[in-house]
Amino acid sequence: MIKTAIHKIYVILGKENKGDLEQLSRTLSGLFSYVNMTSNLYLVAGNLPESMPQVERIQKDVIKFLRENLFARLYLHFVHAIPQTTVKGIDYYFQYYYQYLKRETREFDQEGYVYQEVPRFMLLPVIVPGNRLEPALLITLLDTLKGDFMLPCLYLDRSVFFLAQDKDLMARTEKVYYGNDDSREPAAIACNMFNGDLLNDSLEMLTSEDRFVPGPCQASLIISAQDGKVYTCLDAFRKNQSLTDIYKSNSVDALMTLYYEHGGSKRDCLECRARVPESFADLPISQRRKQRIGALLCHFGTLYHDAGDDIQAVEKYEQSLKLSLVQEAGHINFRLGLGYTNIGRFDQAVKAFNNAELTYQSQYYFHFYKGRCYFEMGDYQAALSEFLQALHLKPQQEDLVKILIYAGSCHNSLGEYEEAAVVLEKAEKASGHVKEIYNALGFSYFQLKNYDKAIEKLLMAVEIDPCSAVDYASLGANYREKGDFDKAIVMYEKALALDPDMILASENLERLKKRI
Amino acid sequence: MNILLIEINPFASATTPISLGYIAAYLKSNGFGVKILAVGEDMSLSCSGFHELINSFKPALVGLTAYQRTMLYVKGFAGLIKSIDNNIKIIIGGPQATFMPSSSFAVLADIDYICRSSGEVTLLRIARAVDSGTPFSDLLGVSYKDSDGAVYDTPEIEAFTDLDQYSSPYLNDVFDYSCMREAIMLTSRGCPHHCIYCYTPQAFKHKITFHSVDRVIEEIKWISKKGVKRLWFADPNISFKPERLIELLDRILSENLKFEMWMQTRADLVTKELMKKMKQAGVKTIAFGLESASEQVLTKLGKHLAVEKVAQAIRMAQQQKIDVELFTIFGLPYESFDDAVKTLEFVKKNNVKIMGNTNSQQMQIYFGTHLAGHYKDYNIRPLNTDRPAYISIGSQYETEYIRTSELHEIQNMWRAHSLDGGKRIVS
Repeated sequence: MIKTAIHKIYVILGKENKGDLEQLSRTLSGLFSYVNMTSNLYLVAGNLPESMPQVERIQKDVIKFLRENLFARLYLHFVHAIPQTTVKGIDYYFQYYYQYLKRETREFDQEGYVYQEVPRFMLLPVIVPGNRLEPALLITLLDTLKGDFMLPCLYLDRSVFFLAQDKDLMARTEKVYYGNDDSREPAAIACNMFNGDLLNDSLEMLTSEDRFVPGPCQASLIISAQDGKVYTCLDAFRKNQSLTDIYKSNSVDALMTLYYEHGGSKRDCLECRARVPESFADLPISQRRKQRIGALLCHFGTLYHDAGDDIQAVEKYEQSLKLSLVQEAGHINFRLGLGYTNIGRFDQAVKAFNNAELTYQSQYYFHFYKGRCYFEMGDYQAALSEFLQALHLKPQQEDLVKILIYAGSCHNSLGEYEEAAVVLEKAEKASGHVKEIYNALGFSYFQLKNYDKAIEKLLMAVEIDPCSAVDYASLGANYREKGDFDKAIVMYEKALALDPDMILASENLERLKKRI
Repeated sequence: MNILLIEINPFASATTPISLGYIAAYLKSNGFGVKILAVGEDMSLSCSGFHELINSFKPALVGLTAYQRTMLYVKGFAGLIKSIDNNIKIIIGGPQATFMPSSSFAVLADIDYICRSSGEVTLLRIARAVDSGTPFSDLLGVSYKDSDGAVYDTPEIEAFTDLDQYSSPYLNDVFDYSCMREAIMLTSRGCPHHCIYCYTPQAFKHKITFHSVDRVIEEIKWISKKGVKRLWFADPNISFKPERLIELLDRILSENLKFEMWMQTRADLVTKELMKKMKQAGVKTIAFGLESASEQVLTKLGKHLAVEKVAQAIRMAQQQKIDVELFTIFGLPYESFDDAVKTLEFVKKNNVKIMGNTNSQQMQIYFGTHLAGHYKDYNIRPLNTDRPAYISIGSQYETEYIRTSELHEIQNMWRAHSLDGGKRIVS
């Protein structure tokens, strides 16, 4: 088994410090041995002029690595703000920064030409435009970059979301990253970019596998050049749980040993992946993409439901409903109904089930789940109506018994004991040994004053579950009504032995003893 | 002795490396330890991880599949292997290697052998030579470079004409099924035709050889047990012998083997009955080679196929609700811009979805093809005359009839009509 390679490294640049830059350069050069054959390096700078010495130095290290290792490919994304607002300012940026960086990489373009393939080294400037920058100027810059074999990307924060509406601009952009806040801090930008990639990864997995289970994200490292801290993934970065400090420990092999010992980025991956889509819901992205995010949220809801966390499941389904296609609403509402049921919010569950009615009305299990909500709410008439509907739709054998028991219990609660007995007898015939059937039948026959039949059923119940205090108490009541006080006392005593706090049993026992 | 076989494609997800699978199975059944490494864009492999693999598996021989587009990576891996252990011998094989000029050895410093004949038998001979400590003696089917750098070409080695004599990669369990979504089948090899742009007929001397239907069925049953649900038949002309294909499809049906299948063949090798049977057996997609919809161009390619025949085959498949893919290329000899547009129009007119393999691409002039040896006769002008000897003309040319700018324009037209961005699966 070959150890996982690092696919992405995010470096959050800070103010230049020569000693720190040396160490950062040594660390990254060492890490190149551990990066994937095709990897991505993100250099996130606040201000390009300030970070230029770092970008330049790191690019040199990358070039050296690629020259020595012909099998390696690397995409260098350098992320920076563009405060300029004039043609002259933009031109200055192009001449002094982009062209300078590009010049150093020409050999890879030439190599790509000779081998008739995409160059192994690609420069992807990620521009963080200010809100005073004219779209037309930005378009000119992107065209110039493309003309020089660079693939320009944009990072849009809230203050410049309007740029996403500019079709000409978008057509020239290789990729758009979004920040759902106004922060232009490199750490926040890196986080949002990581989020975007994580979302894309989840969406791709959802497309390729219907039931994908979120595993760790692509093996990544986040390195803060500001304080030397290294994080294994976004979750660790958010929680400030660093792996090491490159300014204190300078061995890359030790760093990677720690990385593998910690299982890479294997943390709470579901939580991390599931929190990302909601932050994209109100971004200026296409309707189609929003719908896909809705489908992803629904999927995460199901994963939470399967893991037994219905509070989280309900939250995801609710978010999913806001984004998903109308055609999907019935499906999501049904799941939402199940989630509400499991956390005891039966009235909301009924509302959700009502919204799923059109999609699911021909499914017996839909009526069963809805009936259970009414049952728990004490609306036995409505519950019975749903259970009868479920029975009408010919449920599977294993579910038939459950539905019959619920229907019988509804009749019992409505005082319809004869009807209850008929339904429950059917359940007995269908399944045989189920304690709940005998318990409910015992109740029905007791109410119908058919004590022998009640005793017969309750004895079956205690045979299945010899620790059922309530069934012993019910047996006591039936023997008492028959006048067989000795047996009644024995049964009440058994009930109390199992549940000493059963007041009904202790009162009846006391009364019987006095009577004797 | 251990042998490591590597296939690299950093531009797509790794697929079943069927050719390496055959070689691995053959070497394995002859007593060698073999591992296959398929390096795709979705594989996680670092320099350090590769070191670890070499140091733990300790191969004495490494084989690398070479394609034009992966030559740089092949060189890179070869260099890395030699830097780990200079005693490991390295051989390259595959489409780029078979007809690669021997003179290219001079600049392929880390490569010891170039495989020129059938991979299975050639590699077994080399493996035995390496194992016996005399790596350059008694070789056939290769070019090799001795320790002084002198290059030697050995006589060819005959491949088996009965493919069943090759051990099965499936029945010998050389693949990792954990990630395999689609199994690639190779029930026949070679092609008897004379298309001037194609490598296959030359590589197989215009002959076609087959596996028995029994062997193919045995493999399919094994694949089925492994839980794989899709079969991709890589045979250039699966229906070359229609009765053999019908027998195979009948057996798939009678053995109740449920698969979704992809097949390719010539448009003049299908009939309504065959299509019907294909549909019944689970063929979801059939691919035909059209290349050009201009009769005038097509007649000069040595393909001997009428455009109308392709249209008929498409209709037959569509009637059976089988998806159709059409292989087309532009930049062909004597093809003008208008001719190239005609091909795009033909695809649209015949309701073939422009996606996957139907995305067109510029003709590639590879080593071994008739065109590579005679490009001047077709007024083809290579654009880069300064390329290394191990790189063929590829797509870096223009013709008397079409210029580079027009080739780009055609490419863009296809991309504009593509449903999936224009990335073709099969090159």
